[in-house]
Amino acid sequence: MRRDIFQAIADPTRRAIIALIALQAMTPNAIEKHFNTTRQAVSKHLRILTECELVRQEQKGREIYYSLETEQLKAVTDWLEKVQEIWEGNYKRLDALLAELKQAQKEERKK
Amino acid sequence: MKPAEVSTPSDREVLVKRSFDAPVNLVWQAYTDPALMRRWLTAMPGWSMPVCEMATHVGGKYRWRWRDNENGQEFGFTGEMLEVVLHSKIAHTQIYDPGDCDFGSMGGEPSIITVTFNETNGITNVTTSIKYASKADRDAAMSTGMTDGMEMSYKQLDGVLAG
Repeated sequence: MRRDIFQAIADPTRRAIIALIALQAMTPNAIEKHFNTTRQAVSKHLRILTECELVRQEQKGREIYYSLETEQLKAVTDWLEKVQEIWEGNYKRLDALLAELKQAQKEERKK
Repeated sequence: MKPAEVSTPSDREVLVKRSFDAPVNLVWQAYTDPALMRRWLTAMPGWSMPVCEMATHVGGKYRWRWRDNENGQEFGFTGEMLEVVLHSKIAHTQIYDPGDCDFGSMGGEPSIITVTFNETNGITNVTTSIKYASKADRDAAMSTGMTDGMEMSYKQLDGVLAG
């Protein structure tokens, strides 16, 4: 099964790896030092991120460096941001409506 | 209240979480009474909700329709109630009706929307799950111009406010 970008960003460790290599390309060894987990776990996360085309590998001398494929990630985060914006717009109106309903209930009780 | 949190728990699902400073009976009322729904569920600034037919029994059909007040273009959602538990849960199917809005396709199969309500000390936590029928449908929703159209409305509004 082809890995999916939603799955890739659902995992907190993978999100942390993304945040880390967004700053600069890093070797698996360097990435591993930031996490309290096994080398195998980190390489599995990196494999999943690579399969989703969220990260890119580059050979430099004897080391492999991982860096972020920002365009891929941006398509999803932009969409999720818009989703958030639309819902939050509705929810702000709901906040105001609920405050009004609460006030009406309070006044009803006073009677 | 903290702004809505959006996450992607699985490859076909989007989860939206938000808390409200009100007891669950009032939040429930705002989610199920059409007269109240129309006041907040307007989707975007400059839009209204001319049709809001709600159902709160299993198997009941609902029909929501939005209109861009500026150009009169409409789109909507229809579907059927799958589960209704008073003050706790509403689950329904959701079919996109593009109307005369050029938002593009949103995929063929209905999505499943599940809203859960949970009150603690007068604060109600609402969780909304949007589950697409397939990854293809999710991608269609993601690539649809609908969100662009929405963004355009925001920009138009910004322009109006700036002017």
